[in-house]
Amino acid sequence: MSESQKVIEIEVLRYLPESDAAPHSEIYKVPFSDDMSVLQGAQYIKDNLDGSLTFRWSCRMAICGSCGMMINGIPKLSCETFLRDYYPNRISIEALANFPIEKDLVTDLSGFIEKLEAIQPYIIPKEPRTLEQGEYLQTPEQFNAYIQFTSCINCTLCYAACPQVGLNPDFIGPAAIALAHRYNMDSRDGGTAQRMELLASEDGVYNCSAVGYCSEVCPKHVDPGNAVNINKIEAAKDYFLRFLSPKGGSK
Amino acid sequence: MQFAYSEKGLSVEIFKADVVIVGGGGAGLRAAIAVAESDPKLKIALVSKVYPMRSHTVAAEGGAAGVKKPTDSFEYHFHDTVGGGDWLCEQDVVEYFVKQAPVELTQLEHWGCPWSRTEDGHVNVRAFGGMKIERTWFAADKSGFHILHTLFQTSIKYPSIKRFDEHFCVDLLEEDGRAQGAVVVEMGTGEFTMIEAKSVIIATGGAGRVFRESTLGGIVTGDGMALAYRHGVALRDMEFVQYHPTCMPITGLLFTEACRGEGGYLVNKDGYRYLQDYGLGPLNDKPKNKYMELGPRDRLSQAFYFEQQKGRTIEHPVLGSVVHLDLRHLGEAYLRERLPLIYEMAETFMGIDPAKEPIPVRPGVHYTMGGIKVDGNCESSLKGLYAIGECSSVGIHGANRLGSNSLTELLVFGKVAGVQAAANAKAQTPGNSASLLKQAQAVEQRVMALKTKKGGTERIATIRKEMVQSMEDGCGIYRMEDTMQATCDKLAELRERFKNISIDDQSSVWNTDWLTAIELDYQLDVAQTMAHSAINRKESRGAHQRLDGPDGAYKLRDDVNFLKHSEAYYVAGGAPRIALGDVKITTSQPAARVYGAAGEKADQERKASHV
Amino acid sequence: MSKRKPYVRSMDGWWKKNPYYVEYMIHEGTALFVAAYAITLLVGLVRLGQGEAAWNGWLEALKSPLSLVCHVAFLVAIAYHAFTWFKLFPLTMPPIMVGGKRLEPGVVVGSGWTAAIVAALALLGLVWRIAA
Repeated sequence: MSESQKVIEIEVLRYLPESDAAPHSEIYKVPFSDDMSVLQGAQYIKDNLDGSLTFRWSCRMAICGSCGMMINGIPKLSCETFLRDYYPNRISIEALANFPIEKDLVTDLSGFIEKLEAIQPYIIPKEPRTLEQGEYLQTPEQFNAYIQFTSCINCTLCYAACPQVGLNPDFIGPAAIALAHRYNMDSRDGGTAQRMELLASEDGVYNCSAVGYCSEVCPKHVDPGNAVNINKIEAAKDYFLRFLSPKGGSK
Repeated sequence: MQFAYSEKGLSVEIFKADVVIVGGGGAGLRAAIAVAESDPKLKIALVSKVYPMRSHTVAAEGGAAGVKKPTDSFEYHFHDTVGGGDWLCEQDVVEYFVKQAPVELTQLEHWGCPWSRTEDGHVNVRAFGGMKIERTWFAADKSGFHILHTLFQTSIKYPSIKRFDEHFCVDLLEEDGRAQGAVVVEMGTGEFTMIEAKSVIIATGGAGRVFRESTLGGIVTGDGMALAYRHGVALRDMEFVQYHPTCMPITGLLFTEACRGEGGYLVNKDGYRYLQDYGLGPLNDKPKNKYMELGPRDRLSQAFYFEQQKGRTIEHPVLGSVVHLDLRHLGEAYLRERLPLIYEMAETFMGIDPAKEPIPVRPGVHYTMGGIKVDGNCESSLKGLYAIGECSSVGIHGANRLGSNSLTELLVFGKVAGVQAAANAKAQTPGNSASLLKQAQAVEQRVMALKTKKGGTERIATIRKEMVQSMEDGCGIYRMEDTMQATCDKLAELRERFKNISIDDQSSVWNTDWLTAIELDYQLDVAQTMAHSAINRKESRGAHQRLDGPDGAYKLRDDVNFLKHSEAYYVAGGAPRIALGDVKITTSQPAARVYGAAGEKADQERKASHV
Repeated sequence: MSKRKPYVRSMDGWWKKNPYYVEYMIHEGTALFVAAYAITLLVGLVRLGQGEAAWNGWLEALKSPLSLVCHVAFLVAIAYHAFTWFKLFPLTMPPIMVGGKRLEPGVVVGSGWTAAIVAALALLGLVWRIAA
């Protein structure tokens, strides 16, 4: 590290389930250089000050989706958030909101994964095709209809941003609905009706009250809030179609 | 699940599977799907120390190679790969690989991978280093991300795949001369599970984090390589470590080769496209395949080294010696469409707008060409143990991997291993559960002891820092006997000091302090195989370049003595034993490895001699 | 057996924790003023049905200082509600594709405002005509 060593205070909301009844704050003094991310700050603590500090991380380049944290109360990827932008003030980090804390900055993601699995996030072919027939064709319009929603890295910042997820942990939530929408919008897919059952259910899109913060914090500009709200319209259409057509709706 | 109790009151859960796959990245997921599709009745345990979509496949950017254009051929892809690997490839395996590549890439398209398209709706391909024809299928510059998420999401379709997410593999089970399962720790609880299986597939990825500056994620610690190695399986060609020429200084983050595939330039401090001085020219008006910036990675990284020696790199006060990756002439709109991740990374991490300023870059460790020695069916010398992807050495990369061959490798050999492992599982009878359990309990005690032992003084981070620095010093782009020897000695010292580590965290739940120590143990093994294989190879080939030898003899390729694979074998408590193994040559005899105009000339001569 | 003990944080006072949520709550809160104004108009309708005296009484009541203060409050709150409601357009509406490209959020919001102003002016003109 370079010339004038700056030192920033990092306040971590720590929780050690085997010894703590509830989370508590600890403050660490971390020397840093201007290129250091908040993640590197946490790594400095773990390597040099306290090896028990626990957090998930891997790629360091905002694509693996592991290292989300509440940074001064805002859900962010810690690998692409820099200490220099907070200095000389103290910076606070905490496990992503609206998830149970397993330990320190590690959240319980099992519920989120179950939601991802539940929306059937795979191609349910509209017209099956053999490998010998080669690839499906997709026009630029067909491609543009879904490509934005493929960019989700499952970092769960949108869940930490959504008060409705906090109030009803069963709400499928922004990322999973965006993923369902991604497949629904794919010209190769014919599974929209199958996915509608869950999207229109009690835990589905109508939990959303259009706060919109999910789309605001999304590091990959997926705009999950838009996916949720479009599906409110789709779910409503589906509901009314049931009355109009003997075959309409999802069933 | 069942529970079994050992004498000390510890307990091991038991899960009975047919196939256990360790590693949930691209290769592991593809294998899991292959097993599930070959027989839905087979029970699959898919173990990953992270949620599968966090695996490092996610960070691959450029794309996956497979013949697509009518002007291309399997033969061209074969020759590019074998020549690119400096003739250290298993040529029969490469032949199979290039033929299967387009099939697997199409399969991925059917599963929903959002490959970038041409205007008429077909999958598009882009140019890549060392490839004669454009054949790299890409999904913008997030190809690995899309491949991984497509595979993960598709895997959800198969109920026979039981995932063990955030489970850490601490050992393999071996009995009667065959692999019979794995012992894993659930990270969230610190509890042990024995997974019994008739076939074991290792798909744990590379080991590049043994170096200081790398493009790699923190999880790329060579776990599976060390596991197989300790069970007597050879790690092959470990000295061949790829430096990617265009990485972000300090962090090592990757600026994909697609930057150059799309037409980017590399220039030195004089704004000069220096690659023309290193046998990659002459300069053309338009980007030309296998010329200049589209040369192979080893040559480009080596050219950087010489530019630095000549004092022609840019000396940046903070970033050190760099050259410039210039994308400005491509324009913002094109960059946003083709290289959106690169654009964002330059902006976020470096405060640079690549449409307006060149990006400072330097080489960084990117890929381990070597790995667990397996045959064309992905099976190792230990019956029932398979390996795929970066942790394996199936023989397609040789001494230098061509960019975009490895993503295809995951798919092609992921499927092969899945099909083979399934067949093996059906042919085998179940193992002796009682004696396997004894093994598992012994593993548990050994691994727990690392955490509970008292009186250690060494910090894990200190040993790790010394290891990565030493690897960089001794096993960098250019290598010499004395520095390699110093690295070998240092690693032996660190192995000793590792016995005296102290672990801050004594808890059970999410103890990453403890798991990091186990990873470091793996890394030290893998680092030793790299350093000892390197010092043993007294020639220069592909990514292994030496500057020494009598009259500089090791600066050259030596086909007489070293057209051989290096094989590193585990020796308990000591340095690895290095042996040499044969290379399979079918149709491509070793020739001078040349690019640019010289390469084109050699190509024509080769063609003429065939006619 | 497992030593896991996931800790669930309280949601109490969640909306005060982030300015974004405060704005959201104010937006939702101003919807009450929209409702209040609608009720005021409905009362007028009922009074109209009850005869001329009732109608005139309602008109008189509207002119009281309290009513004027209320209406100024309605105007401010409803204007804010409209402002934040239009801001949500890009979130709540399906993407509008023009020439293969998604319309920019600013354009979507702007179009909403333009439509609203045109409609308001047309209505005002109509009332003006009837009154004249």
